[in-house]
Amino acid sequence: MTDERLELPQGTLDLLILKALSLGPQHGWAISERLHQVSRATLQVPQGSLYPALHRLERRGWISARWDASDNNRRAKFYELTRTGQRQLKTETEDWRRLTTVVDLVLGME
Amino acid sequence: MLTEILSDIRYRLRALFRRQAVERELDQELRFHLEREAEKYLKQGASPDEAMRRARVAFGGIDSAKEASRDGRGLALLETATADLRYALRSLRRNPGFTLGVVVTLALGIGANAAMFGIVDRLLFRSPPYLREPDRVHRVYLVWVERGREVIETTNQYTRYLDLRRWTTGFSDLAGYSNRKLAVGVGQDARELEVSTVSATFFDFFDAKPVIGRFFTTSEDTVPVGALVTVLGYGFWQSRYGGRSDALGQQLQIGTVSYTIVGVAPRDFDGIPDDASPVAFIPITAYAGTFMHGTRVPNYYTGYNWGWMSILARRKAGVSLAAATADLSAAHERSWNAELGLNPAQTPAAIAHPRAIAGPVQFERGPRQSNVARVAGWVSGVALIVLLIACANVANLLLARAVRRRREIALRLALGVSRRRLAIQLLTESLLLAGAGGAAGLLLAQWGGSILRALFLPGYASGSSLADGRTLAFAFLATLLAGGVTGLAPILQARRADLAEDLKAGARESGYRRSRIRTALLLFQASLSVVLLVGAGLFVRSLQKVRGLRLGYDIDPVVYIYPNTRGAQLSDDAHAALRRRLLDAARTIPGVERATLGMTVPFWDTWTTDLFVPGIDSVRRLGEFTLQTGTPEYFQTVGTRILRGRGITLEDRRDAPRVMVVSEAMAATLWPGREPLGQCIRVDADTMPCTTVVGIAENIRQNSLTDDPGLQYYMPVDQFHPENAVIFARVKGHADDFKESVRRQLQPLMPGDGYLTVSSMSDILRPQVRSWELGTTMFLAFGGLALVLAAIGLYSVIAYDVAQRTRELGIRIALGARIDDVVRLVVSDGMRFALVGVAVGGAITLAAGRQIGPLLYSVSPGDPLVFGVVAGVLLSAAALASALPAYRAARVDPNVTLRTE
Repeated sequence: MTDERLELPQGTLDLLILKALSLGPQHGWAISERLHQVSRATLQVPQGSLYPALHRLERRGWISARWDASDNNRRAKFYELTRTGQRQLKTETEDWRRLTTVVDLVLGME
Repeated sequence: MLTEILSDIRYRLRALFRRQAVERELDQELRFHLEREAEKYLKQGASPDEAMRRARVAFGGIDSAKEASRDGRGLALLETATADLRYALRSLRRNPGFTLGVVVTLALGIGANAAMFGIVDRLLFRSPPYLREPDRVHRVYLVWVERGREVIETTNQYTRYLDLRRWTTGFSDLAGYSNRKLAVGVGQDARELEVSTVSATFFDFFDAKPVIGRFFTTSEDTVPVGALVTVLGYGFWQSRYGGRSDALGQQLQIGTVSYTIVGVAPRDFDGIPDDASPVAFIPITAYAGTFMHGTRVPNYYTGYNWGWMSILARRKAGVSLAAATADLSAAHERSWNAELGLNPAQTPAAIAHPRAIAGPVQFERGPRQSNVARVAGWVSGVALIVLLIACANVANLLLARAVRRRREIALRLALGVSRRRLAIQLLTESLLLAGAGGAAGLLLAQWGGSILRALFLPGYASGSSLADGRTLAFAFLATLLAGGVTGLAPILQARRADLAEDLKAGARESGYRRSRIRTALLLFQASLSVVLLVGAGLFVRSLQKVRGLRLGYDIDPVVYIYPNTRGAQLSDDAHAALRRRLLDAARTIPGVERATLGMTVPFWDTWTTDLFVPGIDSVRRLGEFTLQTGTPEYFQTVGTRILRGRGITLEDRRDAPRVMVVSEAMAATLWPGREPLGQCIRVDADTMPCTTVVGIAENIRQNSLTDDPGLQYYMPVDQFHPENAVIFARVKGHADDFKESVRRQLQPLMPGDGYLTVSSMSDILRPQVRSWELGTTMFLAFGGLALVLAAIGLYSVIAYDVAQRTRELGIRIALGARIDDVVRLVVSDGMRFALVGVAVGGAITLAAGRQIGPLLYSVSPGDPLVFGVVAGVLLSAAALASALPAYRAARVDPNVTLRTE
């Protein structure tokens, strides 16, 4: 299974986190689980690198954080997309799609 | 974009100021994650421990995740700096002795420099406060050739000032000023205070606005007599008038005249002070027009006899310094020729070559720089040397400490601290030490600075050195320098640290190698100390020689009393009678042995008049002959010896035949090889009856301590202007103790508003020896300081070495060496340092000696006595510094030393 896992290109972790949060506020572990599930366990995201990324996004103001009770009544730090975060998500998604299209074009060259 | 930035700042601020909370949150967040992950594995059937272990593995490195989060906060630099600082503080606090030693050493070095910088700044660099565009303002020096020598004068005639105003084109304005000590106030409170007499244009040179009232206008500064208005100095306004605005319009007695107060100058405005803050400013023409000295005042604005004021000039924009100088020189020549028209006996311009120099405003930067300023410059250099020695000491201490910490450093390197971080941490320690030293040094400078100011700049009322921006900046730079220099050594050590070696080595080494750097530092200190001490010795000998000079009169027991009738209209006879009354009263004062009348005071004023000797066509060309008058007791009162013939006697009354006593040098000049007694001289005019020479007196020094030609003559006071006399009194004891009682006893005899100025001869002479006294004091103080620092440095190095060599020494003792042998071994080591230091220091001093030559008196820079004494002092200090640790080490039981590792 390890051989089929893909490494995440640099900078895309932010995009994935923003997307994950677009569906609603979650805490760090939940985001990690979601990414794991949705990517069908193909994505190799070291759980440790998630938190520095989350804090970076928090610092930029694209996500906001608050402490709240989780589903098992323990306190956890929940992150939520801000309005600027939503705008950023849209921009980065478009950029990504444009990039991959161009790369496909180049790869399809004969 | 803006919201991003705001959010960024808010985040960072929170991370900075609520660090504990943020760290706690991070910890909680990660723990929550691990617990949920572990729950997942628990549900899959793992044991709690197994579940947690798998959770951790799945997570990856917790600490590196934390670190990465922390890095993402954007405070990395600040946090590492804070951490470095805290670590440095802790390690310094653990070694209080070391820390204290270093801080005190640096404080002495930095403090000395900051204090000296304050002095030199005031003397040389700082332009007077409020001066507008100081680099275009010049002090005018007039230069000409007199009797074959070039004369540079800074105090000149008012008429010259007017001539320069008329005949220069390169200056936007000229101003004149003269600072005088005048009696201010009335009655018993009248005191002689510093008053600045200035032209109305003077205030235009400054950007100052009066606090209340106004400055004077050009219409108030006109010849022949200016308006009687005055502007008060700020400090005087505060102290005498309580800072009240009703001071305006009041009258103030200055000198012989009453002035109306029209304004107050702003705070710290001193004009161009000489050495004291003026209490008031009056128009220069008011002073000159009303000034009465008891002598005839020539027309100060049309004649050229009275040179008394300084001239300032502001260069026009676009005029170069060379052009301005040429302009001034041309104007001086025109003025010279104008003077020639009035006085045909004047030297023609072709021989005198009159020219001018446009110098800097600061007097001590011009061509007539006093010796005091030169000494100040040298002492600053000395202070810098002391700082270097202090830094060397500290560097040595830091190096020794670094060697002791080798294991600790190696351990930290092994634990993953990068060499760069380590170097930065060591540098932080050094900077912290330097910072503490600098702060303590500033305090020291504040305290020591006031002492130095009293020595170098007496008369200045204010002057704080602590609040001074430039001194602070200088101290800051000195601190940085000290920190950098001293921190360099341990950093070099850290870079070369060999991990394996250092980890293996015990706290002590098995063998011992003395670091080459430390040896070099020690030699550096020793040679510099030698240089300073030799300087001190040379000054001490100069001072000795100067003090031992036979001046031709006694100083300590002589009091000088000058009666100032302050404009009271008395006839010449009444003036003369007043002097007689004062003289008789002075003789009755307890403690006064003798009293006499005189006319001039050495180093204060001189008097010349025309002399005519049969057979000599121009006496003036042979030199300047100054005169003194006296009563019969003159020579015994003042202490001038009569070598041949007689002095003045009671028979020499007003109508008796005219007689004079001449000095030995004068006799030799006027009648070389012939018998001077009985010769005829005519005084004042060729047609006067003969004045016969009846005695020869010893030469006195009255114009220069070091090379006075000694051409003086004495006439009976009754035969020459008795109305101008002053009184000399000889007391049993030191004159300073009697000044006040003499004044009090004689003051009631003065008519009206008159008052007496009473000084001791030592007061008058003190400024003459000041430069040597200063040099001696400062070089001794700093040289002593340097020696102490160097001795401490040597002691610490030797002590450290001995500690390293304990095993070796223990072995020697065990093998039968006596304690004395061991001590001799160590001491000879120390002496070797001292010898090399003496050699190197001596060489430097001989090379630099020529520079200091002019400041000394009759002492050659290579004086062998001084060198010998200094060498002896250094060697003894070295012996002492090495013997102490040697004795201590030699007394330890060899069994103990051999066994311990």
